[in-house]
Amino acid sequence: MLTCDDYLTPGSLDEAFDMMASHRGCHRIVAGATDTLPWARDGRAGDVHIPALIDVAKIPDLREISVGDRRVRLGAATPLQRFLDNSHLAHALPAMPRCAVWFADDQIRAQATIGGNIVNASPAADVTPCLIAHEAEVELARNSGGEVVRRRMKLDQFVTGPNRTALADDELLVAIECDALPRYGGGFEKVGHRRSLVISLVCLATLLKLDDQGRRIEDVRLAIAGIGPKPVRLEDVETFLCGKQLSAEYLLEAADMPTSLVASRTRQEYRREVVRGFMLRGLINAARRAGADPEVLASELEAAYA
Amino acid sequence: MPDLQFKATINGRKISRAAKPHQRLLDFVRDDLNLTGNKEGCGAGECGTCSVFVNGVLMKSCLLPIAKAHNTTIETVEALAKTGELSVLQQAFHKAGASQCGYCIPGMVMAATAALRANPFADREEIKERLGGNICRCTGYQKIFDAVELARDVQNGSLPATVLFEDEVAQGDFIGKNVRRIDTPGKVSGRLKYAGDMTMPGMLHVQVLRSPHPHARIASIDISAAEAMEGVEGVITCADVPGEDGFGVFVNDQPIMARGKVRYVGEAVAAVAAESPLIVKRALAAIKVIYEPLPAVFDPDEALCPGAPILHDYAPDNITKHIPIRVGDVDKGFAESDLVMEETYTTQAIEHAYLEPEAGLAYVDQDGVVTIVSPDQNVTHHRHMLARIIAKPISKVRFIMSPVGGGFGGKEDMIYQGMLALLAMKTQRAVRLVFTREESIISTAKRHPSRTVLRMGLKRDGHIHALQMKMICDGGAYGLSTEGVMRKAAILAAGPYVIPNVRIDTFGIYTNNTPSGAFRSFGALQTAFATESHLDMCAERLGLDPFRIRRINAMRDGAVTHTKARLGSVSLMRSLDALEKASGWESGAPTSRGDRRRDLNRNDIRPPCTLGARFVEAEKPEAAE
Repeated sequence: MLTCDDYLTPGSLDEAFDMMASHRGCHRIVAGATDTLPWARDGRAGDVHIPALIDVAKIPDLREISVGDRRVRLGAATPLQRFLDNSHLAHALPAMPRCAVWFADDQIRAQATIGGNIVNASPAADVTPCLIAHEAEVELARNSGGEVVRRRMKLDQFVTGPNRTALADDELLVAIECDALPRYGGGFEKVGHRRSLVISLVCLATLLKLDDQGRRIEDVRLAIAGIGPKPVRLEDVETFLCGKQLSAEYLLEAADMPTSLVASRTRQEYRREVVRGFMLRGLINAARRAGADPEVLASELEAAYA
Repeated sequence: MPDLQFKATINGRKISRAAKPHQRLLDFVRDDLNLTGNKEGCGAGECGTCSVFVNGVLMKSCLLPIAKAHNTTIETVEALAKTGELSVLQQAFHKAGASQCGYCIPGMVMAATAALRANPFADREEIKERLGGNICRCTGYQKIFDAVELARDVQNGSLPATVLFEDEVAQGDFIGKNVRRIDTPGKVSGRLKYAGDMTMPGMLHVQVLRSPHPHARIASIDISAAEAMEGVEGVITCADVPGEDGFGVFVNDQPIMARGKVRYVGEAVAAVAAESPLIVKRALAAIKVIYEPLPAVFDPDEALCPGAPILHDYAPDNITKHIPIRVGDVDKGFAESDLVMEETYTTQAIEHAYLEPEAGLAYVDQDGVVTIVSPDQNVTHHRHMLARIIAKPISKVRFIMSPVGGGFGGKEDMIYQGMLALLAMKTQRAVRLVFTREESIISTAKRHPSRTVLRMGLKRDGHIHALQMKMICDGGAYGLSTEGVMRKAAILAAGPYVIPNVRIDTFGIYTNNTPSGAFRSFGALQTAFATESHLDMCAERLGLDPFRIRRINAMRDGAVTHTKARLGSVSLMRSLDALEKASGWESGAPTSRGDRRRDLNRNDIRPPCTLGARFVEAEKPEAAE
């Protein structure tokens, strides 16, 4: 059970930094709180008392969303459900709705935030690989002598290991910026013990752009999680596929490439099988949604799955 | 801890009240407003029994710190319809038979309401997806999905409202007809009170101190600091049991609270009743128990070895129960067989996972009758046991069975009612204990894990000639229903098959694991899993169709079982026919991959789990534009 002396809901960044300063060492930041409450139960952290819980979910800066031609800016407290109910976001970030639909369930997605998922830094986080594939950067802010000082870094550098990030004690994750990829097809493959409300054993984000004929791969972005300490971008596979014709031969070769990266603590053999299948399915799904020539894909699909 | 001034509009009423900063919205609506329609099934966002609308968006109120709901508009299940009325969805749940125990149903109705608000034309796959955050343990979901589809069609006008009316049934003609359950309106509306929903004036809250050790001698228990705390009204240990301690289903080997030693992690050691749950928690932390850990045994085969730790003095061999069955001459039977196959089968512990965690309310009434209200699957037996344990005549002990929010055998054991009785007697107040989900899982009975060695001898034509089975089951730390489970496992071990030579031994063994007990099928699952799997493998070896090998051996009307029961009628052949038809069975020996699966153009087999039904529309070519 989670108890606290104060549950604080700052209305601005300045107010949040003041609260963090005055409760230094005895506070915890919460956003959606959907992981914090289950964490403070028997079998995990047990009964936990935190003197000050600071809930940043209502800070306007953290809720802003802006969709530009090249980049998308997402406030850190953006609930996951926005990727399913905001058509502009879905259009600009084609893999995110596919990721969101596998994230917890409709109810928790209404509350859980993108920033919370990133800062938790679970090796099985669903959002992080998807954003990494979108070239995401995080924006961190802290208060220095009354001024809000911001810094940025790439998301894959921000997450440093299981449940570890580069976030300093006095910092907040304010926003995420990532590439707008409106003409890409997006896919997200995930497996766990059940369909909803499940932690990924493996998850893979795929983004694919094809030429006008829907036959040649112009760009591809791939990121995977659940197979090691942190999510990774599959750059060598991307390099291999870029510029290639969409064909079963290349997809099959690409599907085998990341299996050697599996370094999870458990079930490595199973995960290698999953990775291979996900690569095929994820690339094919993304290609189909990117407007692949149905004739090329239909015949090649058969070949790929055979 | 300064209170928050919490303001909201709840079910159309403006609320402004002090709330504790750590309270969840669920606690506030249930405890402070007495809106108990929405339940707490897990407290961790997994089950959806607590789903409420916040500003029109469905959320899990167990995950919502109350401050998050400040200045919002909240609707609980009570808001869906006026008293005495039901929403279209609730009527559809009634019509379709979608509620059984009912505990998940308020949350399920809320989730279904949200799903049809999001998409009034959602198809079945999308409905499944949108209900993905809500668990039901009784129905298998099909009738729930039927109900949502029915409501969808009535709401969007494609079916008349009359389809929600009860089917007309001629007087007295009920067999084979759909008859609505009379208890459904109370369940779909959230009005039915389960034990955890009930309160009484002056009621105290109870929690239990549990053993962290699998096997340990209790050197001492010091409750003085806990008893001295303000707000603590009663602390009990085994020393408070006035009569002859010990309960069970077949052997009374389990004390109300650990006596002398603990035998599994999670065993009750002491209990506290206090004015608030937080005070109870502080008092539990103040109880000092000194344990002297003992060697523990976790594997039933190891528990049978000489020198293994002994759990109970009365059973120095750690055997809770051995059931032997002997028919004919098995050794001769194997010698006469054309094929003899032996294999080992294992099954694991399984949690019942009813949506309603254990809960109970107890008080001593004006006539001195100790009264316990709880979802108890065996009230009469428990009443007799408790009378002996608290040394009262049977007329001074009363058990009231509250609605059972799922049991499946898991609520047949008197795991906590004794503590409630003792605390009600000690404090002279009403006392209530509500388990957390974690507590329910750690402390209550599981399905027996089993290891079965099965040897079967068959004639070339498929007739089973001899069967020998030895099953070792992990009964855990206490007997509970183990004896009965072993008996039924043995009785049903050879299946509904005519077998002339049979030797069966089932053993329930004490270990320091969580006790095993009753669970649907009561032992038949473990032995049937072995026997039926084995038959398939024998069919493969003999080149026979698995249905055929079963028909060859099937008992017919008038058969005598291997425990000498004469069966007047046997429906096995009809069941096999129906199963073969319904499953789309491809006949032949099970030696090849079928050619009629979904991936090969068969459309009536369940596809692999996927999500994204809501995207289907978006992926179609944009012809409309």
